[in-house]
Amino acid sequence: MELENKREAKVISKNIDVFYGDKQALFGIDLEIYKNEVTALIGPSGCGKSTFLRCINRMNDVIDICKITGEIEIDNFNIYKPDVDVVRLREKVGMVFQKPNPFPKSIYDNIAYGPSIHGIAKDKNEMDQIVETSLQKAALWNEVKDRLHEPGTGLSGGQQQRLCIARAISINPEIILMDEPCSALDPIATAKIEELIDSLKTSFTIVIVTHSMSQAARVSQRTGFFHLGKLIEMGETEKIFKNPNNTMTQDYITGRFG
Amino acid sequence: MNKELRRKKRYQAEKRFQVYGIIAISLALFFVGLLVFKVFSEGTSAFSRTMIKVPITFNAEKLGITNINDNDEVENADYYTLVYEQFVKNYPYSNDEEEKQIIKLLSPDYEFEAKNYFLQNRNQLNKTVTLLFTASDDFDQLHKGNFPRDIPEERRRLSNYQLNIYDQFLKEGKIEKIFNNYLFSKGDSRDPELAGFGGAILGSLFTILICLLISFPIALSAAVYLEEFAPKNKLTDLIEININNLAAVPSIVFGLLGLGVLLNVFELPRSTALVGGITLSLMTLPRIIIPARASLKAVPPSIREGALAVGASKVQTVFHHVVPLAMPGTLSGTIIGLAQALGETAPLLLIGMVAFVVELPGSPMDPSASLPVQVYLWSESAERGFVEKTSATIMMLLGFLIVMNSLAVYARQKFEKKWN
Ligand SMILES: Nc1ncnc2c1ncn2[C@@H]1O[C@H](COP(=O)(O)OP(=O)(O)OP(=O)(O)O)[C@@H](O)[C@H]1O
Ligand SMILES: [Mg+2]
Repeated sequence: MELENKREAKVISKNIDVFYGDKQALFGIDLEIYKNEVTALIGPSGCGKSTFLRCINRMNDVIDICKITGEIEIDNFNIYKPDVDVVRLREKVGMVFQKPNPFPKSIYDNIAYGPSIHGIAKDKNEMDQIVETSLQKAALWNEVKDRLHEPGTGLSGGQQQRLCIARAISINPEIILMDEPCSALDPIATAKIEELIDSLKTSFTIVIVTHSMSQAARVSQRTGFFHLGKLIEMGETEKIFKNPNNTMTQDYITGRFG
Repeated sequence: MNKELRRKKRYQAEKRFQVYGIIAISLALFFVGLLVFKVFSEGTSAFSRTMIKVPITFNAEKLGITNINDNDEVENADYYTLVYEQFVKNYPYSNDEEEKQIIKLLSPDYEFEAKNYFLQNRNQLNKTVTLLFTASDDFDQLHKGNFPRDIPEERRRLSNYQLNIYDQFLKEGKIEKIFNNYLFSKGDSRDPELAGFGGAILGSLFTILICLLISFPIALSAAVYLEEFAPKNKLTDLIEININNLAAVPSIVFGLLGLGVLLNVFELPRSTALVGGITLSLMTLPRIIIPARASLKAVPPSIREGALAVGASKVQTVFHHVVPLAMPGTLSGTIIGLAQALGETAPLLLIGMVAFVVELPGSPMDPSASLPVQVYLWSESAERGFVEKTSATIMMLLGFLIVMNSLAVYARQKFEKKWN
């Protein structure tokens, strides 16, 4: 308890309900995500992890039938207030998707796109600098520095995913949301990305959805367990994995879940 | 055993199906081959023109030219009599009737052909040069072997006397076949040997250009709006259904619309590529919107999400990512739509693009023909010379269509390759 008080809550979800048409996907989600930590969201397929993640950068707005009630505060500011600028919000909250989705442009342009639409770089030099540091932070620079103007879609799956991470951090967000970023990758690429996530948490707050218990255990400080649209339990990763309060959590983690 | 039998049956069915397929394809190829063969065997002769070599003396007195530097005088000199008198001398005649038959072997344009030559070669005054004159249609067809000579004289378009002249000329080496540049440089004419599809090509190009300029931007905006921005409700459903219906409306209906609205209400000039282009653009519009929407829809949602996630607005996402990715499909749809418009005849007939136009159109505001309408017009003509011209025009039209369709394939492949 004492430890938690020292931490600063970056994202606070208050009673979030999500409906797809008539179907309710999330039921009263209350949780906190701490700054400069990795928070893992786990749970069986269809329990609403992605839905919740997409609430944090209001990505669900693009789905016509999706209705959201409740509040999500980022830095004590409710992002579901009517006059919130979603573009500004998404500058602050980046996202990496399950399937690598680089733009069908050059590696350079993939990274430069975000900074250019937000006017972050003053000139070409500065842009080059942003591209380089983003790729470096994403541990991809050495592999692609000689082929920056080749299409990003020509990279391997793991490289593409790191490219997408680089793209997300190029606009210097505060929070990065990752939806099963390793599900399409082999163990070596996965290991690289996990390493990367670990190093990124010094500058960013990271929320990661994963189906891999071991991954959650390896990379996260806190873990939330979702089931059927409800947050069953949330706490220190160590505690969740070793000694969860809820038997359902216990069953899921040990693989006894139906 | 039963199993064995069943397997045998399955192989047989497979074989049978393959045979059906091959028969169907061969049949299709056979008919295409037949069409191409007919068009080519009839049309190739239209690309050459029969000329008669005649020595002409540009006699100043006969021409009535006193001062060679007086443009007015040179322009208005009497080339008609000059050529007439010297040409009929090429063969002995005993009466007016025979004289007439001789001059009829020349195309009526001889006076201009002589004049055009002389205007550029004024130093030939009072000198004799051998000029090539376009032969008349009948003479041309005779030389190309399209006129049977062995039918009774009264059923022939050329008399025995004229046939004798032909034989004589042939012996004297006075007949020559040259490439028929008139076919490309001239408009329509009552005389087949002087008719060309130059006007029709220009008319078609202007029409397609107008059609492109109107339909492409409108169709693209409509497709982008409907696909990306419009709310999905009853109204947009209705619009979607109507666009699909519009693509199926017979083209002649658009012709009626063009006639009723563009000509009668807005009083735009008749028979022009402008009106033709606008009319065809109505027809082409849905034919571009549909493939454009399909290509927009085919852009993976992950690309949109990727753009939105780095903070691009909806409009930025659409115009920076979605539309460029949908371009190859949209462009090839556009080209195919235009190719269909190029071959369209019925609506153009209704807005008066069937007029007999000799002049080449200088702009879309001038009366003009178009390739398919020219085919229609010439196929109705009785003269033998127009038969080959009809086929030549079809060759031209097919050529354009092949080029456009290849362009559509190229556009799709070239741009798609870039992304993968
Ligand atoms: N666009 C949508 N339209 C309608 N229903 C949706 C949509 N997206 C998700 N749902 C529904 O919401 C529920 C939660 O889905 P969500 O994608 O959040 O699950 P998840 O936990 O991410 O599952 P997975 O682990 O398989 O990715 C599911 O029942 C799903 O059917
Ligand atoms: Mg998911």
